[in-house]
Amino acid sequence: MLTAQQLNSDFESKTEGEIKKLLSWSAIEDADVERIASIASVSEDFSDAVIQKFYDHILSFEEAADMFASESTLERVKRGQKEYFRQLTAGVYDQKYFAERKRIGQIHETAGIGPALYIGAYAFYLNQVGLELLERVGSPEEAFRLHLSLLKLAHLDMALALQTYVEARETTIEAQQREMSELPTPVLQVKAGLLLVPVVGTLDSHRARSLTIALLESIQSMRARVLVLDITGVSAVDSMVANHLLQTMTAARLMGAHSIITGISPTVAEALVKIGVDATSLNTFGDLERGFEEAERIMSAHREE
Amino acid sequence: MPETPILAHSGVLIASIQSALSDSEILSLRSQLLARISHKSVRGVVIDVSALDVLDSFATRTLNELASGARLRGAQTVVVGIQPDVALSMVLLGLTLRDAETALDLDAALGLLESAAGRRDG
Repeated sequence: MLTAQQLNSDFESKTEGEIKKLLSWSAIEDADVERIASIASVSEDFSDAVIQKFYDHILSFEEAADMFASESTLERVKRGQKEYFRQLTAGVYDQKYFAERKRIGQIHETAGIGPALYIGAYAFYLNQVGLELLERVGSPEEAFRLHLSLLKLAHLDMALALQTYVEARETTIEAQQREMSELPTPVLQVKAGLLLVPVVGTLDSHRARSLTIALLESIQSMRARVLVLDITGVSAVDSMVANHLLQTMTAARLMGAHSIITGISPTVAEALVKIGVDATSLNTFGDLERGFEEAERIMSAHREE
Repeated sequence: MPETPILAHSGVLIASIQSALSDSEILSLRSQLLARISHKSVRGVVIDVSALDVLDSFATRTLNELASGARLRGAQTVVVGIQPDVALSMVLLGLTLRDAETALDLDAALGLLESAAGRRDG
């Protein structure tokens, strides 16, 4: 049995055993492969006609017409299509075949052809092939069997293409998340011993963790005694974020620095109350000015006398 | 393993832990420090843990006990030099030093003890 994880793994790096599993998962048997291979010469005859009809159909849509505006592009794509059909009916489904399918999927993804368009076009294509088979192959039953075998392969193709779409999307999302979390949170030294940290944006756990580490290291390197965390720029605080803030403050305290939080907006305040966060533990002050006043008070209390 | 040396400087005992201590070594350090508080006019105890890359629950508890004990004898305890990643992992483990003060380094700790003494005297 094939697990979801195996299906999700990179097709390009598929081992022979994995490819075998994938083929058997799609119930593609030797009989199918033989059947398809047996019409290789016939399909060679009709592939041009099918491809012509396919592009006539696609080009009747404005978007596609734009995409294949130049004659040379269209010719190149048609040649690619013919080559694809040759591979499909060649009966060899090895690593190279899978890598090629993945590459085509990527091209579609980059060109902005969504899954709906892709599968719709594929269905049209298979229909045309089916009609040709019905005409050219001995009996309707044989043609139907042939088409069934082709369908298995076509669906495997579509699965590979969809996989590529998903992977591409995941890569984009990951990149964006990384970008977000790498949004630097500057640690500013206002004066000797006093650090200001303006937190802006969303604090997810990844970002909160890196903020905590950056802060703790700054405490050490800048010899800070008081931290002012200004969260005016934080739009939403959930229990996880509140917890991260508390943890950061506690860790800072262990290193000998006091923390003050300023700039809690009304919505954030409401959210914190709802979660049940104790305001005194956060050591909050309404605005930055009062936060600084408190910071001065703490610092002078330790310095004087 | 040599015992952690305890230095005394104008009413402050300073113990700098140089390498990871076993549970019994920590206990012995605690007893020694508490004993020293009684026969000197000690107002503060500073424990430097900057060389340690981990503070476990036992060490934390012992430090808390030391701080409470020292307070009963009239001395304030300051733990200094907790490293950033040590602080973070302590927080994640839910360990706090609620009975002891903390400071960045020895300098800060001595300043803290001085100002505390000033408040008490003045």
